[in-house]
Amino acid sequence: MRVGSVVLLKEQLCVQSYGWNTIRPLGSLQGVLDSLEEYQCDEVAIIRPVRKNDTLNKFQQDIKVIKALKTMTPISFGGGVRSIEHLNLLKGLPIERIIFSSAFLEKKRELITLAKDLFGHQAIKCLLPICYQNNKVHVYHSSLGNYVPLSNIDTKFIDELANEIVLFDTQHEGGKDQFDWLLLSGIPFPLEKIIISGGIGKKTKLSAQQQNIASVLIDNKVLHQEYSILDYKYA
Amino acid sequence: MSVDILDVGSGNIWSIKNWIEKANVSARVVSDASDIKANLLILPGVGSAGSYMQRLKQGSYDQAILEHLDKGGRLLGICLGFQIMSAYSEEDGGIEGLNLIDGHVERLLGKVSHNSWEPISLRKNELDGQSFHRQMNLSKKQILNGRVFYNHEYGFVNNEKKSFSISVSNSLSKYSGLLVKDKIIGMQFHPEKSQITGLDLISMIL
Repeated sequence: MRVGSVVLLKEQLCVQSYGWNTIRPLGSLQGVLDSLEEYQCDEVAIIRPVRKNDTLNKFQQDIKVIKALKTMTPISFGGGVRSIEHLNLLKGLPIERIIFSSAFLEKKRELITLAKDLFGHQAIKCLLPICYQNNKVHVYHSSLGNYVPLSNIDTKFIDELANEIVLFDTQHEGGKDQFDWLLLSGIPFPLEKIIISGGIGKKTKLSAQQQNIASVLIDNKVLHQEYSILDYKYA
Repeated sequence: MSVDILDVGSGNIWSIKNWIEKANVSARVVSDASDIKANLLILPGVGSAGSYMQRLKQGSYDQAILEHLDKGGRLLGICLGFQIMSAYSEEDGGIEGLNLIDGHVERLLGKVSHNSWEPISLRKNELDGQSFHRQMNLSKKQILNGRVFYNHEYGFVNNEKKSFSISVSNSLSKYSGLLVKDKIIGMQFHPEKSQITGLDLISMIL
């Protein structure tokens, strides 16, 4: 099982996020990636935590930062990749995998298929920011700016086109060992395709390993504990 | 020693340039088939086999690669760039490859996909049977021991008897993770994203 990290990129700088709402500045993306590479982090998911008010211009500004990156760590990138125009800006960047969220929820087959042709099916990830509300799993639909019930989502479409699916526990993001395992009970994807994030701790990592989950992405709080990535890997 | 990286319109070209330059060797990104001049040509590969081969043919890159080898140049293929060196890939309903290595590419058996780090161990003298000799003395290392990053759904089945091949892993032993045949070297993993091991490897082969 891989042990990676989530890095949030907001207005060209990294931020820490707690509970999907509170953010604090963290520094430059290159600096954060250099640290994670030094700790031999298995992979990094760079996510723009955008909502419905995202614009192509904001996207282009963030892409400039990605383009300038020098890294030898596997990178996934997503957040606001909502059109072919966005996708074309990703060509040649130092990233291996693309993360889509709204595009999967809105079943944008043409966009995702084009991404598959450009980057390969192995490169396509789906991000589902999820939480438990009224005894049901809900998914945050970022281009709408609200939560929708998972039952309203075409999960077969996601399973067909996504190589891996990131389940991001929005309520426990930033917490330690608080990932809500109940979230997996209603998820119809094979566990070996699932990556979990949000509230990951060492106990969560061990449990994920036992369940044959593909990867855990530790929240950005790892950057306050220099050696924690190695601790997690050998937990 | 010079290195050209072939840009056919997809793939993480700049990661590969960064990888080569970390070894203090300059590399050019080449997007015109007639502009290939270096001793070592790198064929990066990201995407699906069908659209990738289509782009190779449209830009006459396929012919340029053959001419490069005819002139005695060395060739390094990475991931899909390695797979399309085979005779045939079953991706996208079946694609004819460059047929530089006797082998074929098939969907990984019993796997959703293989997205993982795997250990690799290689002695430099194991490559001596091939003509892919290093030309620079960048490292005195004789043994490479480390881990490399894989992200693929298809695997290369090698039929070349005189080649040097290391399998992907114990559970994917049918497929080549690294293959050297004459002046051609193929890597199913992503050396440019394999951190310290990737750097050690490029220092050993350049």
